[in-house]
Amino acid sequence: MTHQRTLSFTLNGRPVTATARTHETILEVLQRDFGLFGARESCGQGLCGCCTLLVNGTAVSGCLYLAAFADGAELVTVEGLARGGTQHPIQCAFVEKSGFQCGFCTPGMILMTKELLGRHPRPTDEQIRHYLSGNLCRCATYPDIIESVRRAAELV
Amino acid sequence: MKAFELVEPATIDDAIALLDAGDPGVRAVAGGSALVPMMKARLFQPTRLVSLRRIGGALRGIHAGDGGLRIGALATLTELEHSTRVRDAAPVMSRALRTLSNVRIRNVATLGGHLAHGDPHMDLPPILLTLGARVRVAGRGGERWIDINDLFLGYYQTAVAAGELITEVHVSAQPHDARTWYEKFTALSADDWPTVGAAVWYRTAGDRIGEARVAVSAATERPVRIAAAEQILTGAAPSAETFGAAADAAAAAVDPLADIRGSAAYKREMVRVHVRRALEKAR
Repeated sequence: MTHQRTLSFTLNGRPVTATARTHETILEVLQRDFGLFGARESCGQGLCGCCTLLVNGTAVSGCLYLAAFADGAELVTVEGLARGGTQHPIQCAFVEKSGFQCGFCTPGMILMTKELLGRHPRPTDEQIRHYLSGNLCRCATYPDIIESVRRAAELV
Repeated sequence: MKAFELVEPATIDDAIALLDAGDPGVRAVAGGSALVPMMKARLFQPTRLVSLRRIGGALRGIHAGDGGLRIGALATLTELEHSTRVRDAAPVMSRALRTLSNVRIRNVATLGGHLAHGDPHMDLPPILLTLGARVRVAGRGGERWIDINDLFLGYYQTAVAAGELITEVHVSAQPHDARTWYEKFTALSADDWPTVGAAVWYRTAGDRIGEARVAVSAATERPVRIAAAEQILTGAAPSAETFGAAADAAAAAVDPLADIRGSAAYKREMVRVHVRRALEKAR
């Protein structure tokens, strides 16, 4: 059946399978089949960054990412960052510096920070702004977010 | 989105056979960052998408040689952004990629898709029009090359026929004295699609401009070379007066489309401003 797929992929370190229709995005599958809501659809156009997840180590917009393309891939959502009840250093930095208000955009900010620090472990403010320019915070906590990313670079 | 058939061929030949179905609802898809938003908005409802992601090396890679850059159609915009080969051969491309959409989109969007989409707001088409490029296209009847000047036919329309697939892009080798610039003007938010894109390229011979290319995008229904501006530049001194006259010629030549980013009259003035700025900044 070409309109439906059985997908096998690694989700937050765990091998999983799921059945998805071809027109579903990976976001729909993560929410429906795995109860993961850290990546959430907001603008639905890849502009706001709330649906950010990592596929094979790179950040993508889950709202535009066809679920079928996850087959064989390694997926990480914000729920997969903590280890054994200990938060990831980037999460700790955001808590320490209060890099959020309502928290809706925070998973995307944290995962984009992971992407940034992977390429630039000691980022300049310009690099921080460059990587986070596609993530919107409607509470406008941007100064605290940038402060959190600076702190994250020290902790990671 | 509505249901459709998704196929994932492993070879270019198989992809072409699946694309060549005589059905406008059949399209190739790479990253999906351009197609999926159109599908969500129901502007495009595919009957079949031919995913290229399982096609290996033939469509990937960025190679530099005497003839210029050879870029596989599935090279992502992120790969281009960080490529030292691109930076050395065409720094104007590397600079433009930094503000082309955002990191996540560049991680999945491919050069082939960027060109095949035919969206006049894309940043690389006007740049490639000035650098010189050609696009390799495979179809059931074999391969052909399309000069970049012949690729963009209209609003979301390209010379790539149904059943054809862009496989590679050649960017011409640049003379060491070529000056280039791309000026992107966004009228709404900083990260919006451009209202005007202005790409320029010129070389000087002595104290005169020897050869010049000017392209405008976004304001127009397709990215276009502006012959009237190029004629003014060629043989003239690279002065503020010359650049102003060329910008006036560009403003007079374009046929802007009115939309949420501005009226046609406004965009004509912005073409004037940004062609001039691009010429002043070219290096």
